Amino acid sequence: MSAAPRRWVFAVMGAVVIGALLFRVGLPIRITSETRQVYEQLESLDSSDVVMISFDHEASSLPEIGPIGSAIIDHCLRRGTKIIGLALFSEGTAAGYSLLGDRARRAGAVEGEDWLYLGFRPQYAAAILGMGEDIPQVFETDYQGRPLSGTPLGMRVHDYRDIAIVVSLSDGSMPTYWVEYAGARYGARVVAALTAVMVTSFLPYLESGQLAGIVPGMKGAAEYEQLMGLPAAGTRGMDAQSAAHVVIAVLVVLGNIQAWSDRRRARRSP
Amino acid sequence: MLRDWLSVGVAMAAGLFMTVQYFLVSESANAAYRTVLLWMQIVFAFALIIGVIGVLRIHLKKLSRPGSGRIYSGTLLAGAVLMSVFGFSGGIERGSAFLWVFDNLQAPMQSTVFSLLAFYVASAAYRGFRARSMESAVLVIAALIVLIGRVPVGEWLSPHIPESADWILNVPALAAKRAILIGIGLGMIATSLKVIAGLERTYLGGR
Amino acid sequence: MNRPRQLSCLLSSLLPGLTALPVAAAETPADSLSGGWLAAGRNAELAGIILCVIALGVTAWLARRGRTPRLRSLPALDAIGNALGRATEQGTPVVYITGWGGDMARPTTMASMVILSEVAQNAAGMNCRLIFPSHDPLVASVAQETVQQAARTAGRPDWYRPDDVAFVSQSQLGYAAAVDGLMARERPGAVFLLGTFEGEALILAETAHQSRAVTIAGTDSTIQLSFLLVACDYTLIGEELFAASGLVAKDQTIAAAVWGQDWLRYLIITTLLAGGALFSIWGFNLGAWLTG
Repeated sequence: MSAAPRRWVFAVMGAVVIGALLFRVGLPIRITSETRQVYEQLESLDSSDVVMISFDHEASSLPEIGPIGSAIIDHCLRRGTKIIGLALFSEGTAAGYSLLGDRARRAGAVEGEDWLYLGFRPQYAAAILGMGEDIPQVFETDYQGRPLSGTPLGMRVHDYRDIAIVVSLSDGSMPTYWVEYAGARYGARVVAALTAVMVTSFLPYLESGQLAGIVPGMKGAAEYEQLMGLPAAGTRGMDAQSAAHVVIAVLVVLGNIQAWSDRRRARRSP
Repeated sequence: MLRDWLSVGVAMAAGLFMTVQYFLVSESANAAYRTVLLWMQIVFAFALIIGVIGVLRIHLKKLSRPGSGRIYSGTLLAGAVLMSVFGFSGGIERGSAFLWVFDNLQAPMQSTVFSLLAFYVASAAYRGFRARSMESAVLVIAALIVLIGRVPVGEWLSPHIPESADWILNVPALAAKRAILIGIGLGMIATSLKVIAGLERTYLGGR
Repeated sequence: MNRPRQLSCLLSSLLPGLTALPVAAAETPADSLSGGWLAAGRNAELAGIILCVIALGVTAWLARRGRTPRLRSLPALDAIGNALGRATEQGTPVVYITGWGGDMARPTTMASMVILSEVAQNAAGMNCRLIFPSHDPLVASVAQETVQQAARTAGRPDWYRPDDVAFVSQSQLGYAAAVDGLMARERPGAVFLLGTFEGEALILAETAHQSRAVTIAGTDSTIQLSFLLVACDYTLIGEELFAASGLVAKDQTIAAAVWGQDWLRYLIITTLLAGGALFSIWGFNLGAWLTG
């Protein structure tokens, strides 16, 4: 493809997405079984349960991961379920701390009692396996450097048996490692909240029951917000995503029409 | 030569121990396993330090040479120094300069690169998704159904579109993915066994 | 690295998938360490490892006796020489990327290193510059050794430039931006994308295409595979990458391993068919039985 049509493709895509963000249409959002499955599992927990949220993503995917993470965190806080946050990607560390801290403070949750942020550990395979043996051995202190044994929530968790659900907020293949190491080895119940581009990679794990649920991208966030009755960033992004998908579909059709006419012209010319 | 044999020996011994340990009920083996997990994290942290030193060395060298790339190397070095100073002096908690830079500079800049995907998907779809044969025509039609069916506009057009998209993803696409995954899994198992047997030595760097 | 652990966990995670029947793997902890000195609930993994050892051992033994099957040629591999030749004629470098998703523990990265060694040897022979930007310090260090060794093997030790094989950034999009910038500045004649890729795959492939480079890709990431198939000139699909490493290195052990994997594949197909038949006719869940 030459530079000129590429520029047009980019310009049309940019204009359509910006337009959809500025002028809301409010298309109806269908709740998929994948998102409902996750929602119902978190809904079944109460204040005696602990959910581990692993921020396995980069800063780059925050616009998509952020709404999913916010919806899940808000749901846990509303149910009174305790949250332990951590990051297995260095960049997810600060992003996770900001997101979890902001949502918890808005809900009036107390750090150390209702939520705790453990920070980052390198070498994700060893970290996931290590937490199956002894969480305080992998994370002796929380993100602020306070001993884990010094907080009520930190004292409650020893290994995955004390964690009701592990949620991996991921823009990559990290949920695979959670399934292979925490799920298969220690029986942890793993849920993957993913960027849309990664969703189909994890459907086999969902089908076989190795993943307890999937929240699929921005659409999953929008569905989760609908289930909670609190439309937010995910719902707002749906019009733009719809518009982008339509543009790509139109481009595929146009590309094929052009290729077909080129072939026809080539056949006619001697 | 001795170094190679030592590396292969360590890999084989560690490999055998970790495999046997997985199937054993033994407190001492479990304690050794926990220690190895901690070592792995420590070794990786040191590898990161070596990597960072390598990056700094290369860019210091580039900075000292005349050329148009100096500005990039300078920016990288300035960023590395500033973030380290912010982190060590002001901490990393809420309200710190470190977190401010992360939230307001790094995250938006990286999101910008991520957003390029939308444009590249569009141009790649326009350029590459051509129905040149019956098989590729089926692929193009399936792609169009999934594209429209996975967003609200599909539901708005017809409830059959999202249903068809779900079927495509959950039946034919999933079957193909599962087959590829099993094939890849077998490749991984074969490689793993070759490492334990000392036949696979790629990690030594071509020696 | 933790390869055997990965092997055991990989097997245990594959088993429910093999039978294609949903089993409550997450609700039945495999870690029930009770009874005797053998861990309970891991018989299936143990049997799986034994079967793999037998299949791969027998094929390796047969290979030593000269009974290795011929691996079919792959168009992507045939294109490597032409791509290098084109880059040399144009006076442009080639860029080799193993993907952001793979570390040195990943078999795809190992397979990619074997191909890198061959590409580097040929590039050194043609005096074509090779750039290897890495996202992982360990991968960078192994690649440095690999390229340096390849230069020595090609009889051109002076060709190796340490600064061209280096760690760039662990950040996914930081890495993608750095490699994009590199491609925009250097205008490579060929770009090799062989390894485990994630979200950066299409960004790199499209930039390579815009730089008018020949793009040769191969990955085990199923979702990125679809992007690479659309955006690249040649693509190795999934396990073809492992076979490719055997083909380029002309290594009998790799060819034997590919043969062994074929044996295991037949076993899996038989198990799948048997599992489906047992469940359909008698309602017996083979997947649940295998995973305890």
